[in-house]
Amino acid sequence: MTLSGWAAVFFWIFAVAALVAALLTILARNAVHSALFLISTLISVAALFILLGAEFIAGVQILVYVGGVMVLFLFVIMLVNVSAEERGGEMLFNRPGQIAASVIFLALLSLGLIYALRTGYEGLLRRDQERIATAIPPPSAQPSETRVMRISQDTQRVGGSLYRFASIPFEIASVLLLVAIVGSVMLARTTKQELAADDVDPELLPELIVAEPELKP
Amino acid sequence: MSNLVIPALALLLQVEQTTRGRAILDGIKHPDLSKFLVIGALLFIIGLAGVLTRRNIIVIFMSIELILNAANLNFIVFSRYLQTTGSMNAVAGQVFTVFIIVVAAAEAAIGLGIVIALYRNRETIFVDKIDLLKW
Repeated sequence: MTLSGWAAVFFWIFAVAALVAALLTILARNAVHSALFLISTLISVAALFILLGAEFIAGVQILVYVGGVMVLFLFVIMLVNVSAEERGGEMLFNRPGQIAASVIFLALLSLGLIYALRTGYEGLLRRDQERIATAIPPPSAQPSETRVMRISQDTQRVGGSLYRFASIPFEIASVLLLVAIVGSVMLARTTKQELAADDVDPELLPELIVAEPELKP
Repeated sequence: MSNLVIPALALLLQVEQTTRGRAILDGIKHPDLSKFLVIGALLFIIGLAGVLTRRNIIVIFMSIELILNAANLNFIVFSRYLQTTGSMNAVAGQVFTVFIIVVAAAEAAIGLGIVIALYRNRETIFVDKIDLLKW
């Protein structure tokens, strides 16, 4: 599958946007700027998903990541004090030795990965040569008579196979989300809230009352 | 200089070096799936660089989200590839991506809860100051 025409133009725009915004995410001094650059990366990757014909995943990415997870990140950034880092009082990165080691390691890793991807993709195409030639392309892969890209039927198929083949993982994922909600509420509450909820650790209670007498239930 | 730049460009754009300029131009005009894989690999590397070099634990969490997104991109690319080979179960990659997004959301909620609890007790969000369990 190759893109052509405007799809190729949009591919390059969003690919470069995703990479530049990702770089700025890890280089920005202010954590709020990091979060905003990460949002632009996520939106660009969602656009790449649409170019690949996965409209449903692109929508989920924007709704869940940008609408949910990144808002959570921004809330936490506002709750903790990051002003020392913004003003330049604190170092942004680790010690120079660690940075040098990780940059060398990552440069080697990227060279190896990109080389392996190239040879691997060529080998994959060679292996599946006959199947690609004989396969009937899905109607969504072909532009219509008016040269307009069709919406693929993938959303329907994703829903079908999610409930037909992956219904138990689906239920486990819902339990995981419930555990995450309860766990994060438990982790983030204060001692005062713990006392108010009347489930403070009995071994801890005498010490707490000595330390802060006004907390006594 | 140019005999160093062109092979690097050819490697990045996934084309044969022997058929120099024309193939590179063709690769730019008609990007195929391996370009998407390169984007995914570079996103992964950038995320890993963030995890390894930053001190702010919130930015480290954001880098982990970048890494998970690179994995998602790879899943979608190979789901698309399976469609071109006419595979029956081509949307399995997209189903897997949905689960990765769910796990990433749960991980972010728990991780940020831990960050808040840690900040309340230690007054810091720098990973090299969080050394309570370190000899």
